[in-house]
Amino acid sequence: MIWVDLANATINGIVIGLLLALPALAVTLVFGIARFPNAATGDFMTFGAYTVVAAKSLLALPLAIGVAMACALTALLSLFFYWWVFRALVRRSPVASLIVSIGIALVVRSTITFFAGQSQYTIEVPLVRAWNFDGVRIVPTDLYIAGVAVTALVLTFCLLHLTPLGRRMRAVADNMELARASGINVGRVMITLFAIVGFYCGLGGVLIGIKAVVLPELGWELLLLLFAAVILGGIGSPLGAIIGMLVFSVSQEIASLWVGASYKIVFAFFLLLGVLLLRPQGILGKVRAVR
Amino acid sequence: MELYVSAIAIWVLIYTLMATGLALQYGFTGLINFGVVGFVAIGAYGSGILSQHGVPVWLSIPAGAALAGLAAYPLGRVTLRLGGDYLAIVTLGFSETVRIFIIKEEWLTRGTHGMPGLPRIFEDWAGRSSGDLTLLVLLVAVNVVIFLLMRGLIRSPFGRILAAVRDNEVAAKALGKDTASFKTRALMIGSALCGLGGAFQAHYITFIGPEQYVPLMTFYVWIAIMIGGAVSIRGIVVGTVILIGFLEGSRFLRDVFGGISEVQLASVRFWLIGMALICTVLYRPQGLFGERTKGTN
Amino acid sequence: MVESFGFNRRQFGGLVAGLTASLGAGSAWAQNTRPFKLGALNSITGAGGVYGPGMLEAIKLAVKEVNDAGGAAGRKFEIFAEDDQTRADAAVLAAKKLVEITKVEAIVGIWPSAVQLAVMPITNAAGIITMNTSGAPEIDENDKLDLVWQFYGSNVIFGRAFAETVRKLGYKRPGVMAFNNATMLAQARYFQKTWEEKGDKVVDFIPYEPNQTSYRTELDRLLSKKPDIISASSYLPDLTIILKEWYQSGIPCKFIAPGWSANETLARTLGADVVDGILSVSNVPATQNPAFKHFSSAFKAATGREPETFAAASYDMVICLALALQAAGAEATPAQIASKIRTVAEQPGKKVSSFAEGRELLLKGEKIDFDGASAPLTFTPEGRSTPDFGIYEFQKDKLVLKEVIRLT
Repeated sequence: MIWVDLANATINGIVIGLLLALPALAVTLVFGIARFPNAATGDFMTFGAYTVVAAKSLLALPLAIGVAMACALTALLSLFFYWWVFRALVRRSPVASLIVSIGIALVVRSTITFFAGQSQYTIEVPLVRAWNFDGVRIVPTDLYIAGVAVTALVLTFCLLHLTPLGRRMRAVADNMELARASGINVGRVMITLFAIVGFYCGLGGVLIGIKAVVLPELGWELLLLLFAAVILGGIGSPLGAIIGMLVFSVSQEIASLWVGASYKIVFAFFLLLGVLLLRPQGILGKVRAVR
Repeated sequence: MELYVSAIAIWVLIYTLMATGLALQYGFTGLINFGVVGFVAIGAYGSGILSQHGVPVWLSIPAGAALAGLAAYPLGRVTLRLGGDYLAIVTLGFSETVRIFIIKEEWLTRGTHGMPGLPRIFEDWAGRSSGDLTLLVLLVAVNVVIFLLMRGLIRSPFGRILAAVRDNEVAAKALGKDTASFKTRALMIGSALCGLGGAFQAHYITFIGPEQYVPLMTFYVWIAIMIGGAVSIRGIVVGTVILIGFLEGSRFLRDVFGGISEVQLASVRFWLIGMALICTVLYRPQGLFGERTKGTN
Repeated sequence: MVESFGFNRRQFGGLVAGLTASLGAGSAWAQNTRPFKLGALNSITGAGGVYGPGMLEAIKLAVKEVNDAGGAAGRKFEIFAEDDQTRADAAVLAAKKLVEITKVEAIVGIWPSAVQLAVMPITNAAGIITMNTSGAPEIDENDKLDLVWQFYGSNVIFGRAFAETVRKLGYKRPGVMAFNNATMLAQARYFQKTWEEKGDKVVDFIPYEPNQTSYRTELDRLLSKKPDIISASSYLPDLTIILKEWYQSGIPCKFIAPGWSANETLARTLGADVVDGILSVSNVPATQNPAFKHFSSAFKAATGREPETFAAASYDMVICLALALQAAGAEATPAQIASKIRTVAEQPGKKVSSFAEGRELLLKGEKIDFDGASAPLTFTPEGRSTPDFGIYEFQKDKLVLKEVIRLT
């Protein structure tokens, strides 16, 4: 029986992990390339989820179009804040960008609550019973969600490693000044970066909205977990972010079979501290100079 | 009326304690502590629990502050060898850990029920407002003492090393200074001040519960020092006054805007706070009172 | 969704109604025009944000009803609303403002116990009435002046009602899930205590953290113990997710949940297939109560949705207060008004279900017993109302009353 519980917890952890890998990827890309932890990530997700709610209920659009709209609009939102705020802060301390991103988080969330209020919304998809293999259960909806997440992740890797644009992004991540000196248009790289980041946040937010419920704090509550997973995986490493997220969510789900569910977050925190003690650069990160 | 004004003044003075602690960490040493609220909570609960076990308030408040300072020690040792971003995230995680510990360990903290009926620092010896007024005087005195100590500290050799760590850690290391140890000490002193603020607040409200100690409070303190500029005492005070003035002043907004619902008013408040944060960093990077050259990078 | 856009028209309507009412009533009740300042301290943001706005809306409706009837003892009610952010520290400053600047005579609509406990020293020192929907027993212990009134069946009673229901319906193996906050945890513990008094055992007791994406592991852990019914001490967002995941799991089990989460919104969100057969426990057999009918239709007209228990309780707070003021007279102090609250809601008074009705009788010098929208409202010596409980069952997506239980 214990194996069934373990298998179910693992499956659940993987689904949540893949789902959250999208925003984790967004965090690590910004962290690696623009060099600050973007605290607005969570609220971009919230924005994406509310966009779908609005598209479905106000415009009566089908879910697929709503999702596309959410991704596009969140990308635009992210670009807007790059254009207005982060662009001006590129040469300043990362703390400036970090603090500003908190301000952006507040602005985005309060704009949402101004129009949508505090009550919950749901993104309705037909509920389907799980396939049951001797107690090990797989929910078809979860498979779709995981499928979408995996597709998006694979596309990112193709972009980063197979295209000239991806090469330029990695060059900026390695050394911005050097990249600039060798003729790379850093501004254009940043625009691509923030568009991708917005896209992923929007998509991640929608998927969470489908799985759970849509509330104003939806993304903000996940921020700590995202940051921790990114550090665990190694800052700036896309694959690391995904692995870090999976390690976190699977181990959290398994841990909550034994320790009280409330200590999930604490457990993640100590896991992080442990990794920092043994391998400060994270699972896949490169050693970074102290800035 | 005077009770409300003194309540606001007490609030400002409690926040200046926390802001001074954070300013020592960030403005003078360059440490990014995103777990301010965790240390505030330790100070509050430390003092609260002690006072419920018969320890007099004048003893339990400094004890709470000391506990908060001690709690910073292991965090500093683990993360301060690493870059600044790590400390930010580890302290953020720490503050959530503290909150969950408070929720879960009911034998000690009464969990989500919170602890009601904490002793006030001064009872009312003459009329309804006398207790608050005495507290106000005490807080002014505590703040002045802390400011003087801080000024001494910053001008001491210790303070000069902190500034060196902030401005160029590699150089400070090259001079043979154990920078991690200095940073840890700055983190501990700053956190103890946050704890002191928390302890005073606990005995002023007379009730503490885990829902008070969420990361929003951390960001309030950050906003205060960002607005004022983190490197001068004047900046800290003015920043805190602006923050509290803004938070409380926005309550009077509704007397001006009649046709807006409560939910929307709350949204407007947070929107303005966010905008203030963005615009200060973007257009007044040194804070309203900082010097142009310092603290911007 | 449309509620946030509707304020202009409504506000305007309210203004017109208020104006005409004051013109009409002005001549008859000119002897005391001093308004009664009422503080509404609601959890607009934070964890209580799901219910706070509805509570404020209910308070506004009740105030309008009182003012339309000409006010209480000739005094019109004036609302001053503040957001406590569901936090004790923010609530203290908000309460100070209400008490010291606005000089309110009563504060209503407090949701969390933390806020009630934190503002009590302030309101008691100023001699002001507070009314809440909190459930913490400490509130009774500290209410030495009898100024604090609780409009919510305490956690103890709620937990017992759940357990008695489950026993009565013949279930043998209940499991417990509880949202980890003071109210819900206490409720779940009293469920366990009541159940285990007769030597039975609950199969497992799982408190869960709020704001999660998934509760599947917690749910799986409980389901693996094979409960025949799960008592979920939950709020709406978490219950929505839990039921979604339970339905998808395909494991047969019943659920029993409080009325503020197992309501029509839940049914609309999840659909008839999921909610069919789920039990919902509410303070009162709501559909049979005239005050509730009247209130809920007004609430629906104003907001377009069903009111929650907390909103109904907030409505009752204002009506009770107004009736007590009517009984105590225009010059009464808050303490004198408080001393009348019990008398306008106790037998053998004549049953009334609205302010206007109650005022008529009070003017004639008769005794009244206000039966509110949230409960029949009979206050214990501690100033707590003890409700009857309605046990409802979802048949498809409609709530159907199964029975009413009264605890002693």
